[in-house]
Order: sequence, then C-alpha cells, then structure tokens
Amino acid sequence: MSLMRVENINKVYGTRKGARKFQALKQINFEVHEGEFIGIMGPSGSGKTTLLNILGSIDRPTNGRVFLDGVDIASLKKKQLAEHRIKNIGFVFQDFNLLDTMTLKENIILPLAIHGADVHTIETRLQKLATDLGILTVLDKYPYEVSGGEQQRAAACRALITDPKIVLADEPTGNLDSRSGRALLELLAQINRTYNTTILMVTHDAFAASYCQRILFIRDGEIYHELYAREDKQQYFDAIIDVVSVVGGESK
Amino acid sequence: MKLTTLAFRNIKRNFSKYVMYFFTLTFSVFTVYSFLALLQNEVVNHAFIYRERYRSMLIGFGVVIFVFVTFFLISSNTSFIRARKKEISLYSLFGMTNRKVSKLIFLETMLVGLAALVVGILAGIFFSKLIAMILLNVTLVDFVGDITFSIHPRSIYLTILPFLGVFGLMGLSGLRVISKFELVELFKGEKVSEGKSKGSYILLFLSVLLLGCGYYFAATVDSYLIIMYSLPILISVILGTYLFFWGGLPKILHWLKKNKTKYYRGDNLIAISAFNHRVRSIASTMATIAVLSAVATTAVATGYTLYKNAEKDTYSRVGFDAYFYGSEELLDDVYQAFKNHGVEFESYTSERLVARPELRITLDDWLYYDSDNAGDYFRVYPQSVFNEIITFSRRDLKPVHIKPGEAIYALESWTNVPSLDAELKQAIMDSPFKFSNQTIRVTSFVDAQFLAFGAIQVIILNDDDFVSLHQAGDIITGKTETGPPFSKVTVFKYDNPLRSGEVARSITEILSGNADSFRVAYNTYVELLETFGLVCFIGFFMSIVFILMTASLLYFKQVMAAEEERGQYQMLRKIGMDSELEKRVITKRLLPVFLIPLIIGIIHSIFAMKSADTVVFSFMITQQNSYLVVLGLSSVMYAIYALVYGVFYFITKHQYAKVVG
Repeated sequence: MSLMRVENINKVYGTRKGARKFQALKQINFEVHEGEFIGIMGPSGSGKTTLLNILGSIDRPTNGRVFLDGVDIASLKKKQLAEHRIKNIGFVFQDFNLLDTMTLKENIILPLAIHGADVHTIETRLQKLATDLGILTVLDKYPYEVSGGEQQRAAACRALITDPKIVLADEPTGNLDSRSGRALLELLAQINRTYNTTILMVTHDAFAASYCQRILFIRDGEIYHELYAREDKQQYFDAIIDVVSVVGGESK
Repeated sequence: MKLTTLAFRNIKRNFSKYVMYFFTLTFSVFTVYSFLALLQNEVVNHAFIYRERYRSMLIGFGVVIFVFVTFFLISSNTSFIRARKKEISLYSLFGMTNRKVSKLIFLETMLVGLAALVVGILAGIFFSKLIAMILLNVTLVDFVGDITFSIHPRSIYLTILPFLGVFGLMGLSGLRVISKFELVELFKGEKVSEGKSKGSYILLFLSVLLLGCGYYFAATVDSYLIIMYSLPILISVILGTYLFFWGGLPKILHWLKKNKTKYYRGDNLIAISAFNHRVRSIASTMATIAVLSAVATTAVATGYTLYKNAEKDTYSRVGFDAYFYGSEELLDDVYQAFKNHGVEFESYTSERLVARPELRITLDDWLYYDSDNAGDYFRVYPQSVFNEIITFSRRDLKPVHIKPGEAIYALESWTNVPSLDAELKQAIMDSPFKFSNQTIRVTSFVDAQFLAFGAIQVIILNDDDFVSLHQAGDIITGKTETGPPFSKVTVFKYDNPLRSGEVARSITEILSGNADSFRVAYNTYVELLETFGLVCFIGFFMSIVFILMTASLLYFKQVMAAEEERGQYQMLRKIGMDSELEKRVITKRLLPVFLIPLIIGIIHSIFAMKSADTVVFSFMITQQNSYLVVLGLSSVMYAIYALVYGVFYFITKHQYAKVVG
C-alpha cells in the first residue's frame, strides 16, 4: 500500500529577482510503501537533503505535490504543518540533536509534550519503547552522561514516540565510527521489522544504504537509478557500489 | 588590518550586547556629572539652608553610585570576555599574542567607554538646568531665583578622571581573564553543563529559615530591638537570599518537575529544563539583583514616604502654624509683622500652668513618673481652654468632655511598642493623681503632646476641678522652669502657612534669641522638605542606576545564553514547535529570570519598610495604621520599579527571540 506519493517535485533556489537560479530538484516522482525501509543516495550537492526537508515539510517545493496518506502536505497551513510534523513524522538527525538541557526521558517525550498528550499516554509509550530499545536504566541521565549508542537509541525513541507514519533519517551514520554506525543501522532495521515502521533514510554511505530494501539514487536533482534489495547481501552491496561509482564520483 | 579597525568592527558586530552596556554606562556618567555639577552650582548651593547636609548627602551617594558602577563594569566586562572565549582563542590560534588580544579588548572597552563619557557628560550639560530645577522644585518650598545654564569644567574633569581609572581597572581585569585562557579549551566540547544544579534541601531550609528570622525580627514592633539587631537582620536576609538562589530555587524547580501533568506540557518542559540548566550560572546575579532591588526600592519608598508626609510630620511636631512664649513686647512685634506682610491671622494666648500631683508610675523596673523628681510635672489645661486652643491647631483633634474627678492624659506614642504602651496606659489609669484636697483619675487619652510647651506630661481637667485645684494652689504658673517665668504662650493660625516664607522669616527674626522658646511650622517644613526631597531625588537617581545596571546585566546574560541556545530552537522547530509555542517557551524561559529577583526584592523591601515604619514613621504619622500609609506610598514606587523592569524584560525578550529565531 502506498503511504507517501511524490509527484513532479521541483525546487529552485534563487527565485528572487536578480539572484542566480539554481535548480536543486527536477521532476522527482516516486512512491513509498507502508512498512518500507527506503534509502536515498547521492553525492554531496545532489539535492538529497533538500528532498528530505521537503518530505519532512520543513521546506516547501517550488512546485509539485507530496501526499502523505492521501493528504497533500502543500495544502496545509502553517499551524497544521507543525501538527502534521509532530503527528506523522519522526526525525532522526545526523548528530542526534538531543537537548543537553534535558534528560534522555525529557528529550524522548518532548514531541508528545509539545503535542499536549496526557501524562498516562506519555508514560506508557515511553515505558514500552524504552524497554524495547534497552535504555530504561539511563532515562534519567543527561545526553552527555551516556554512551553514543545510548544517545542513538534515545534519538530513535524520540522519533518513534509519536507513533509516526514515517521516520525520516538524515545521514544518521554520518558522524559515527563504523561500529556505532552499524549498531544504529541494525537498530533502524529492527524498528522497521518489529513495528513495521516506514523509514526513509538519506545517506551517501554505500554500507548504510545496503540495509535498505530499496534505494533511489539522485544525481543533479534527478532520480537517476533505483535498486531493490537482493537475497545475497554481498551482491546487493556490490550492485550499490557499481551505481555509486557512476553517480557518486566526478561523473559530471 | 589595524587593531583599531578590528576593534571598531567587533563593536559593530557585537552591537546588541554593547548597546545596553553603553546605555548603562552613559547614564552612570550622566548621574555622576549631574551630582558634581549640582555641587558646583552656586545658585543651588545658596538655595539650601542646610548646605552642609546637602553637600555631604550628594557626595556620599555619588561615591556609592560610583562604587556600584565600578563593580558592574568589571563583572560585566569579565563575563563578556568569557562569552567571547572562542573568538579570542581563535585570535591566539592565528598567532596573536596575549598582549595584543588584551590590547584589542582594551581598545574596544575604551572606545565604548569614551563614547559613553562624551555622551554622558554632554547629556549632563544639556540637562543640567533641568536637573537643578527639578531638585530645587522638589526640595524647596518657595524657590524664586533663576538658574542660568552653565558648564562646570571642574565637574567635567572630576567625572572623567575616576571613570578613566575604572576603565584602566577593567583593562587589567580583562588581561587577567585572557591570560588564564588555554588554547586547548577551544577544542574541548563544552557539552557538560556548568549551570545545572539539583539544589539542596539543606540550603532551601536554611535560606527559608534565615529569611524567616530576618523578616520576623524586621517585623517586630519593638523599635529598640530592630535598631539593636539591624546588622544581624541585614546579614541573615542577604545570606538567606543568596542561599535561596544557590540551593533553594533549584530544589523548587526540581519539585516542579515532579508534577507531571504540568511539567509534561511542551512549553513547561522546554522552559523549566532550560532554566534549570542555567540556574547555577545565573544564581548569584539574581541574588545580587534581588538585594539591590530591595535597597533601591526601599531607598525610594522611604524618601517618597517621608517627602509625602512632610506636611503632616511638621504639624505633628509643631502642632500650630507658629507659637512662642516670651516677653509681652514680642507679641506686639509679631502682630506687626503679620500686618506688614498683609497676612490674615488668628491668635490665642493661653497660660502655661503647672501641676505637681503626688504620683508614682512604675512599669516593671522602669520608673516612669515620680513626683519627688524635680523634672516631673504636668502641663495642665482646663477642658474649655483645651477645646478652644485645638481650634487653632492644624491637627485634627475633637473637643473633649470631662466629668468631675476625671482627666485626660495627652500623649503621642511613648514607646512605640503597642503591648508596652497598653501596659503604660493601664499603669497611668491605675494610679490616682493625689492633689492636696482631691484625687483625680485618668480615664482616657488624647494625642496632643504638642500642647506640652516645654513640659513632658500633659493633662486636661474638668473646668470645675481646674478652678478648685487652682484655688487650692495645686495649679500654679510655670515657675519650675529655669529663667524668667513666662507664664503665657501664644499660638498663631494664618493663611497658607507652609508657602508664606516671608512672614515666617520675619517672625523668626523677631523671635530668635528673644523668645524663651518658639517654633514656626514653615521652618520645620522647609527643613523636612529639604532633607527628604534630597533623599527622594538621590534615591531616584540611585534606583535608575541600579535598575539599569541589574537589568542590563540580565539582558547581557540572556542574550549570551540565547546564542548558545540557538541550536536547540532550530531542533525544536524541526520536531514541530510552532511559532506560537516558541513565543510561550521564550516567555516562560525569561520571565522567571526577571520576575523572581524583582518579587523577592520587593518582599524584602516591604519588610524593610515595616522596620522603617516601626523605627521612624510611626512617630511621624499620627494615624492609627501608619504602616498601611507607608505601604500605600511605597507601592507607588514598587509599581514604577516593576514597570521599568518590565520594559527591560520586553527588550530582552525581543532580542532573545531575534537571536534564536
């Protein structure tokens, strides 16, 4: 079943008079299915973060439409947008973006607190997620008091606490060493499996991409290629590398 | 690039931080210059009768202001440099020596300081006439002279010199801070909170205890106790304030967090955790502000209360527009003076009669009255004379009716301790006044001690009793006093007594040195107004300097915090904080920083006013509930203070929102 449909998205920077125009995205079309773990790959400057911001309703497309569950995001007003972000979308950021002023628990419940959920709902959801992700014992600690892995899981917990329709992950392994990176990817895959959560991950790392069931490759703002996961992990990884060598390098 | 260019550029870049600092500095310069100029102004000097008092008060408070300004400048300079640690470390990373960095910072400080000096002094010169006129208008009853616009070169360099000294000190302290920086700190992440505090029950308990004790003793009704323990009270309140902000407030925040229904609301969660995170680094500032606010509001409120009560106070001291007792020829001269000035007047002459009943009044160990003592005697009035003479008084007294054998005892408050006063009243009522043929008992009291005219005790008798006692020789003319026995006192009532300076001066001239004793309400009023008006005037300037200093310190700290918190707001917006919520978060984040010190400062001040009421005001304000009057007048000042603080809060909020937005 299709959860998100992206139709003919264009994004042009410098639309003001006299500014040099730069088209970051050109005619992007794709669909995301429910329960899918989808990756978007591309070199720096290919427009993948722009795309993610548009999908996350942080940015607006110049034209084109994004449907989430049949609702056109572009048609939402500013206030509705904020609510839409809280209710439907979970974010996992590159450096987790946990607030140092809050304990892990406070960080995790923040989206629900902003949304105005009652204490009971907050507590039950928190208990379940924190137990599943194994951070129950460190909930009352501050981000700088726990390990990187625990911070990751707390960030994932925060993304999941509102029970979002889709989780958007922006280069989640970008700042991590390979072991922590792998742990995070395992975690995302586990979340995807156990909760059937739809995850859309932007990355430039082939290894990270190999965890996705489907990968969209972007080059110069256009979808260049699409790749589906294969049974054999090594084969899949090699296939990704092949595409990247064309897309990613100094191919232009 | 030259160092000066860089300095200019830095000032421009840090404009939002420098602008408040500049404003405060300018006003401080303005105040110091204005005080100095007032001291130099001959016309103003001559207008004051109590010149020495005027000069020493201005100088004294000028020094106080200057000391505070020095502390403010050095502490804000230090925290400013700390906030720019990253930038400064970068300079040294690129090869700038510590000396050169210090020179740069010093240059910046100097540029801003010199600009403030110039603007402050120019403003001082520009407004000097206005300031002098305000001062004279507030303090003098009927000033008619003309103040010319004038520039006082001596005041200018007397202002510049100490400020340059302070700037030099700032440069030195900056050098000390910079030399302590280690380059490696630049690369260390500053993730670990410096400001988080869990608070402590012990500190909370201790602070509440100290404040409670301080308040309790400040609110006692015993003026003697208050004066005796004023220093311990002050220390315990100040210490309690600091302990409260250091350990108590974090504990309270901790409690707030436990109320999940409230705490788990987006704005509360963000604001409380952010405030909790900063509370330690700002605790001392908030405590200092609370104490300074208390000092400033108390100073202004005291001055204002005294000032507003000068008229009442005058009549509670003098009772009449004028009175004297002395030789009969003087009376004609006084009449003539009134006529010469064309002032309508009424006068009444009464005998100064004395009675010495056999009487002993003791209160515990205190021998209040003993007829064996030569100094203890009563001024006596028959009811008819009393009822007549009070119509000439400006005091609001009702005619009395006294039964035979009874008497009314005139008093203000003697001890100012209600319980003690009640005991004393009881003791007086219990003691029979034994005269040669009859005994008289006091049955009630009246606030009319201004009728004593040289005596200490006053009683009012029934007319018939008075006549019989007079015949029996128990009531005699005032021979107990030293010097010639002037047996008569004359009281005057005339139009517009507190504004008619000329006639008052003529009467004073006639009577001084000639009359046995005399008082003119105008003279007392002028003295009170001069003193209290000056207290008001100085308190006003001091308060503004305090408000500016404390508010700009808060502004400064919050704007610097905003820069560090910018990332958080960006993240929060990403996960769905809308602009409405953001506004609420910013409000809840900043309001306590301004509100808590203000409220605590005002509570301190309310108790300080209670002490002041016990020690000073209740002797002056003859109403039943003098404290209510004091509070009423003080609350005007509190409201103004809160209003000004509110303006600074909104400026800070605006700037904070701009930085994080």
